[in-house]
Amino acid sequence: MTDMNTERQSDNQKPAQLRERDDIVLRVENLVVNFAVGKQTVQAVSNVSLDVARGETLGLVGESGCGKSTVGRAIMQLPSPTSGEVIFKGQDLTRMSGEQLRQTRTGLQMIFQDPISSLNPRRKVKDIIAEGLHIWRRPNQEARVREVMEAVGLDPDAAADRRPHQFSGGQCQRICIARSLALDPDVLICDEPVSALDVSVQAQILNLLEDMKQRYQLTMVFVAHNLAVVKNISDRVAVMYLGKLCEIGDTEAIYARPAHPYTRALLASIPDIDPDSNLPPDHLPLLQGDLPSPANPPSGCRFRTRCPHAQALCADREPVMQAVPGELTQGSLEQRSGKDHFVACHFPLV
Amino acid sequence: MRQPDNSKAGTQQGDGLAGKELLRVNNLTVRLNSTAGLVHAVEDVSFSVGEGETLGIVGESGSGKSVMARSLMSLLPKRATALRQGSIRLSGREIASLTERELQKLRGPAMAMIFQDPMTALNPVLRLSVQLSEPLQQHLGMNRQQARMRAIELLEAVGIPDAVNRIDQYPHQLSGGMRQRVVIAIALSCNPGLLIADEPTTALDVTVQKQILDLLSTLQRERRMGMLLITHDLGVVASRADNIAVMYAGRLVEIAPARTLFKFMQHPYTEALFNSIPRISDPSHTRLQAIPGRPPQLVKPAPGCAFAPRCPYAQQRCHRERPPMVKADDAGHLHACFYPVIRPVAAGVDPSALMQKRSGQ
Amino acid sequence: MLHKRTPQKIESRAQNFARALQQVFGRGFGPGFWLASFWLFVVAFCALFADWLPVRDPIDPVIANRLNGPFTSNILGADGLGRDILARLVHGARVSVVIGLTAVSIGMIIGGALGVLAGYFRGHFERALMAVLDIILAFPWLVLLLALVAFIGQSLFAISVAIGFLWIPAYARVARANTLSVVQREYVLAAKAMGASTPRILIREVLPNVILPVLAYGLVAMGLVIIVESALAFLGLSVEAPQPTWGGMISEGKRHLATAVHVAVIPSVTMFLTVLSLNFVGDRLRSRFDVRESNL
Repeated sequence: MTDMNTERQSDNQKPAQLRERDDIVLRVENLVVNFAVGKQTVQAVSNVSLDVARGETLGLVGESGCGKSTVGRAIMQLPSPTSGEVIFKGQDLTRMSGEQLRQTRTGLQMIFQDPISSLNPRRKVKDIIAEGLHIWRRPNQEARVREVMEAVGLDPDAAADRRPHQFSGGQCQRICIARSLALDPDVLICDEPVSALDVSVQAQILNLLEDMKQRYQLTMVFVAHNLAVVKNISDRVAVMYLGKLCEIGDTEAIYARPAHPYTRALLASIPDIDPDSNLPPDHLPLLQGDLPSPANPPSGCRFRTRCPHAQALCADREPVMQAVPGELTQGSLEQRSGKDHFVACHFPLV
Repeated sequence: MRQPDNSKAGTQQGDGLAGKELLRVNNLTVRLNSTAGLVHAVEDVSFSVGEGETLGIVGESGSGKSVMARSLMSLLPKRATALRQGSIRLSGREIASLTERELQKLRGPAMAMIFQDPMTALNPVLRLSVQLSEPLQQHLGMNRQQARMRAIELLEAVGIPDAVNRIDQYPHQLSGGMRQRVVIAIALSCNPGLLIADEPTTALDVTVQKQILDLLSTLQRERRMGMLLITHDLGVVASRADNIAVMYAGRLVEIAPARTLFKFMQHPYTEALFNSIPRISDPSHTRLQAIPGRPPQLVKPAPGCAFAPRCPYAQQRCHRERPPMVKADDAGHLHACFYPVIRPVAAGVDPSALMQKRSGQ
Repeated sequence: MLHKRTPQKIESRAQNFARALQQVFGRGFGPGFWLASFWLFVVAFCALFADWLPVRDPIDPVIANRLNGPFTSNILGADGLGRDILARLVHGARVSVVIGLTAVSIGMIIGGALGVLAGYFRGHFERALMAVLDIILAFPWLVLLLALVAFIGQSLFAISVAIGFLWIPAYARVARANTLSVVQREYVLAAKAMGASTPRILIREVLPNVILPVLAYGLVAMGLVIIVESALAFLGLSVEAPQPTWGGMISEGKRHLATAVHVAVIPSVTMFLTVLSLNFVGDRLRSRFDVRESNL
């Protein structure tokens, strides 16, 4: 009972990882998404809070089934989350009515994992890209379509009248990016945009996303399972496990000093491309077992069943997001001001 | 003209390594029928694998690596196969020309295969015990009781907890990682000399991927199996394979011992692939060196080097003529390029910088 | 010079033409498809131009020609009243085609629309609709059809409507299944993200991807409709005499089976070929669309 109360209290407080800044474009607070599976209710996303500042790229990583893609879609209100707030440029999207939501949502756009299934096979490329412009009756549609096509590296004269099946996966992903840029959004949510692509094409798309971010001043939420890809593109990284946020912070901090045992295990699992690095992780805890069922998550900390450091407390109480201890005291003034690293763990690794 | 040359080169590659030669493939060519035309899926591929040795085969989708693996096991559908040429010798025995019946005797005891998707590799309506003991009864002549005991041992060997009870479960009661372990257990049940793992971890999460790869390495070492580890991810093979072969557009473009390959890669494709992968050790927002263009179609291959259209070093000759496999300076290192990557003076590249880029990080 | 080049040029032109054909119609339909299509074309042509074709009057009984065999003064023989069978086939095609097209269109439009809506909105509407459709499907169709015909009459249009009504459940199912798979595609999500309204998504994103498989199914359905019509005619409940219909011809022919087999066999074969062709062409088209879907 008391545990429940403390949890409640912590819910009411503002989550520690949310920043007090003027340039926050997107803020997600206590996001919960439930799915009905048969008669059961599965909490796919549980109390996730995060924010993204203008021009920032937030990487959202985790294994399959951790709810990272669901967070991306819930931000878009596709479908709307069960509870929680999604504040985009000061307005809460979850409280908007249909028409208002339709209009506000154009500031957020999304690209998906499977570029081929994200393009309507029966429409021409130029119509696909111009769709948003048509809907909102924007002026100079043709010029805008040409511009974004050129920006993503498609030849407007050659590609405009063709249909998606005449393009390779990488080209299709370029079309998707062009489509999402046509309406000049503030935020681009990328849901595993490169995981369906060949290794050699993946780099093209990652570079393109970086270029587009510069050119159109985009803020990005980049959902992916590949930690190396996320590191490459993100300013900030959030790690999810079984619907919960475990750790969030500056990319370099997370990768250099992972504080959550799960983050550490994830990093240790990455196959190293350098065959000489034979220090592998004998000294690091290796993750055992499989993901528990999201329908029946473990009590307390959801990671405890696979955590090498789990103790009795972890089963009793759910850890709350807190600033990673230690870094503040040892750091110089400079480091302190730039400090941005939060972890939800009773016994963070420092 | 080139073919005898090739096989000789292949022999030399195999010689430098420990262990008896287990598998030798010479000039394997596979062409498949498709609605778009004749697909040149595998062209003139030669390599060898020793006992207890791992050969990593790296390639993008459509590079022919999976077709090659299936054709080694003679698992390609007959109707779709337009041509299969070349020699496949397993422990000195030619198996490319065997009949289906003879092959069935080999699949299991002599060679076994693990597929990418553990969800579809197991029969959903049969208990694990049935699926595990079937090959044991068929190939090793065990009775039911023996087979069951052995099956439990196998499940324990692949790290499935509570194997005694798990054996009576159905596949859907297991997670993806557990299923892949079962698939491995089935593949290992008859103690195969050669294990072909076709993207064994692509469908799995990173944490599980590591477990499975570690398991495969351990089992392979214990049993002195030869292993073909096929993947699109250089990282998967980097620290686990003894030799690495890189495939592009149905051909081997480079093959070398793992360390040699990473330090002294010769083929521009290998280099480009290596450089295009985002590295965890690099700082954020490091510009990736993308490979322009896209992998070629295999239907009507161009006459020259398949990588030439995307290659930064390509010359006229590369578009006209197909480069043969030639030996590089290091032992067991072969590549198919007229203008291999390290050309310190001619290309005007600072060799020390190049070396640093490769070995450093 | 000219002599040398010409054959090559012709060949390359033929190749170009073949390639163009391939681009339009795709590969691998095979000769059977074209044969079937040709037959359907002939049937459709007869139906359209029956009045102008050089055939006899289909309802004019010439007693002298009674039960004439084929290749006599009547090319395909004459029936028990001495009416020319060829003429009756040509005019009967009209009934078959009209009923086929009307019934299938009714089923396609109503059933297709219901199916798309059910697949898109899901929820209670879908459940209720599917329950109703299941009940209709579970009802013996012939009984239902007889009741409908008794209720709305025996005109060509009434019969088309009655048969079309029977097809609504099947179409709704096909459309719903296709819609369900389309709705999962990310381009629907992308359209929502761009602020597309629901009608716009239905019309621009869903419908174009549902309509082709549904149309292809229409050809197969048309074959069945022709058979249903003949069953009605056999029971004497189709379009009223003397208007010739294929089903009616078979029904009349059964009286002469002992003496003049051709009277029943010729319309049967005609109908058989037509239904077979419809199925064949429909199947090929459907598999083509399916493959294309999965490629994409």
